Amino acid sequence: MTNTGLVVADIQSVEDDFCIDVEVTSNRPDCLGVIGIAREVAAVVGASVQYPKTNYTSTDIEVSKLISIAVEEPILCPHYTARIVRHITVKPSPEWMQKRLKCIGLRPVNNIVDITNYVMMETGQPLHAFDLDKLSDKKIIVRRAKSGEEIVAINGARRALFHDMLVIADGKRPVAIAGIMGGKDTEVSESTRHILLECAQFEPRQVRRTSKATGIASDSSYRFERGIDPEGVELASKRAVKLINDYAEGEVAHGVNDIRSGRYEKKRITLRIERLNKVLGLEIKRDVASDILKRLQFNILNEVDTFIDVEVPSYRGEVYREIDLIEEVARIYGYNNIPTKTSISVRGSVKSKYEIVEDSVRHFLTGIGFYEAKTFSIVDTSPLQSVNLWSDRAGVDIANPLRQEESRLRTCLLPSLIRTRIYNMHHGVEQARIFEIAKVYLAGEKLPEEKTCLSILADIDFLTLKGIVESLLASLGITSKCEWMAFDGSILFKADKSAKIQLGNNILGYIGEVKELEFKTSPCMVELDLDLLVKMSNFSKYFQMLSQYPPVLRDLAIIVDEEVTWASIEKCILAANISFMTAINFFDIYYGKQIPSGKKSIAFNLCFQAFDRTLKSEEVDVAQQMILDSLYKTLGAELRKQ
Amino acid sequence: MLEKLEEVKKNIQSEIKSVTALKDAEQLKVKYLGRKGIIQDFMKLIPSLPAEQRAAIGQRINSLKTEVTNIVDELLKKFSGEITSKATHEIFDVTLPGKRPLVGKKHLITQTIDDIKEVFARLGFDVVYGPEVESEYYNFEALNIPADHPSRTDFDTFYIKNDVILRSQTSTVQIRVMEKQKPPIRIIAPGRVYRPDTVDARHSFMFHQVEGLLVDEGVSFADLRGVLNQFIKTYFGRDVQMRFRPSFFPFTEPSAEVDISCSLCKGKGCSVCSYSGWVEILGAGMVDPNVFKAVHYDVEKYTGFAFGMGVERITMLKYGINDIRLFYENDIRFLSQF
Repeated sequence: MTNTGLVVADIQSVEDDFCIDVEVTSNRPDCLGVIGIAREVAAVVGASVQYPKTNYTSTDIEVSKLISIAVEEPILCPHYTARIVRHITVKPSPEWMQKRLKCIGLRPVNNIVDITNYVMMETGQPLHAFDLDKLSDKKIIVRRAKSGEEIVAINGARRALFHDMLVIADGKRPVAIAGIMGGKDTEVSESTRHILLECAQFEPRQVRRTSKATGIASDSSYRFERGIDPEGVELASKRAVKLINDYAEGEVAHGVNDIRSGRYEKKRITLRIERLNKVLGLEIKRDVASDILKRLQFNILNEVDTFIDVEVPSYRGEVYREIDLIEEVARIYGYNNIPTKTSISVRGSVKSKYEIVEDSVRHFLTGIGFYEAKTFSIVDTSPLQSVNLWSDRAGVDIANPLRQEESRLRTCLLPSLIRTRIYNMHHGVEQARIFEIAKVYLAGEKLPEEKTCLSILADIDFLTLKGIVESLLASLGITSKCEWMAFDGSILFKADKSAKIQLGNNILGYIGEVKELEFKTSPCMVELDLDLLVKMSNFSKYFQMLSQYPPVLRDLAIIVDEEVTWASIEKCILAANISFMTAINFFDIYYGKQIPSGKKSIAFNLCFQAFDRTLKSEEVDVAQQMILDSLYKTLGAELRKQ
Repeated sequence: MLEKLEEVKKNIQSEIKSVTALKDAEQLKVKYLGRKGIIQDFMKLIPSLPAEQRAAIGQRINSLKTEVTNIVDELLKKFSGEITSKATHEIFDVTLPGKRPLVGKKHLITQTIDDIKEVFARLGFDVVYGPEVESEYYNFEALNIPADHPSRTDFDTFYIKNDVILRSQTSTVQIRVMEKQKPPIRIIAPGRVYRPDTVDARHSFMFHQVEGLLVDEGVSFADLRGVLNQFIKTYFGRDVQMRFRPSFFPFTEPSAEVDISCSLCKGKGCSVCSYSGWVEILGAGMVDPNVFKAVHYDVEKYTGFAFGMGVERITMLKYGINDIRLFYENDIRFLSQF
């Protein structure tokens, strides 16, 4: 069974019998009854199905004399039948029936209710019994609800009804929500003498919408939503009457009051053998396919070597195309009897630039001791989580959140990394280096903008983290220089130790020391626009000639005003435009006794190297003096005397 | 002159062999590099050489000097070290713990996605991504899941606003790719998906899926079996068995659920496989003609297959992880294990 599509989830022994729990997928409503399961078993093992008995004796009184039926909405209710049994005895149902109902989780009520449930479980066709005496005007009308109407369902739920809902009404009021649940007023009770047995077909979508709108779902609505056998009404109705006749005595009124709009046309489909084999990768002959379809009760209308014309059984509503027949053949033939092909045509696959960058970033960061984290994209609406570095647009809220803690799509990854760091601290991890690559969601026109970010948090100082960012950029071949601009810190960073990073005309990200006070250490963190890194990355490389001549290093220390930034010093040095200067290396900043107040000493070294000659000491001296002059003129920098 | 220099070089090489203690090394230093040493003696001769030879010979002497200095320094270092350690009786303990560099790890979910990418890249699949916040159309209608259809019950969804949802499956990417591209198509689409499930050991409102799609002329169910078998044997191991079971997905027909033999009990039955010997790992099938119609493909000309797997699920199976929440707690003690 499991191998043909009905997963047997559990088998339990119940006294002298067994209860088999079968998972039925939503495309197989025909298997929502024992008969349907029996048909499947018969097809698999090659046996035939024995249907339950429906014989009973009826009296002379015609059903149509006892009740009149009108269906105002034939599209929503294509078929409605009523049968009547009078002078019944309401009492507990027989032991065997109670036992069977209980083992599938249904609570026995009385013989009438139990029989309608039992037959539904047998045939898959829902039924409902009304107390005939309680139906006003001896009328059943299948109509839309009128505004202002309401109903108390059998389960006690009171619901207001609206025009888009289909109801079963008597002469005065709704007595059932069509296909979903009957009303309390007209339910079968100890005192019921005569019953009307409804067996009908309702339009699946209508039932589903109303079930959702009223919040009432039942075994009945479950089956109607999925679609019942359009030819199944008669069997179920007769079977129920037979059981009522057997176990509640009573006199069965003659005939049935049956309102049906149009006849059901069986679907006809052609299965091409070549197509079957092409889709499945098989080489089976027509007779194999035809035998399988016959076992599944498909009526073979015509068959030749190249195709089979079939008529689909009424209860297989989901089979309406050739591909559906192909699936039928495949599952009975056995998915595992279909070959496992081991060759596939050639197709080159190319890594996208995004993937290359993502891989490089992970490689780089894990290589220097960082662990990758994965945190939830849906966060709470606290001020910390609401921080939005990238846009001043509002966050994207979830309309139906499960909990307040997860109700908004995040606009920043850093708060999640802070939480991850705290979580680890509480679990005894003293130092941590973590990063995450994930999206932030910035409100947009229809769909939000999804920006991929890289965030890093570590127990390291600002300049170390900055250095990591710089090396990372270098590893991605990004040679353009970033601008690091002082930043107010927002809610995330310490205001005096944070910066906005600009790359070209774009904001690359934000860096700084974590403001959060809970930490014993002073971790730093950064959030970068990964999409921008992808755009700017450049992995084409070309060999750079190595100089054969010795480099000349000059250590310098200058005294400047405290406000003068390294960036301006560097810029000034470069402005001197010395062609053979190859590097500027900052190494120290010093405030102290020897330095006048309001000033600082900056030490760095310059590297000079030419590609065509050994530099002479004198020419380096000249270059150095040009640089010092430029520093003096622009920044008032003076060479610090040793 | 040059011959003499060569001779000196040879002499040194042989003398090195007889150096057995610091004292010998020091003697060697004095003999060659001292103020009255052999090399200094050569230096003194330079002014007396013909002008055109001076530079060349001078260079040779200098290089010899460097060479000898290196040799002597090495010897001095070698024997002085011996003395100190012997003198203080310090014994180096090789069993002391090594000083380990910091090592980080990719998240286990990333590792699994990378493993999956690797298998499929070898079979010619490109990696593509799609938006996580999606129009309902891409998550449902285009995938043959109409509104008011009971199959929607299987796909509970987070809503942002009318018609905009958080994707509940990566199958959305199929449609986006096919709208832009004509066959042949061979893609996998990894990414985050969202479902309103209450978090417990087995459920999470956010998890990862990888979707696969192959569309071409003449693609069959047998190809699907072949491709998935290749993945299963690579990811779970050569001895793992694969089983296809008929199932239902609105966007594939025929549809299958794919099981692997339980690696914990080797198919004998245990709590992981609910005593069936098999565990479900993914859903797959032949792309439903209705999906092709939604993207205006010729349903007679092209066939294709699609599959989707839960990354957390297969990772938990492979590594015996019993609680899905571990993936999102990011406890470094967890992350460092893999």
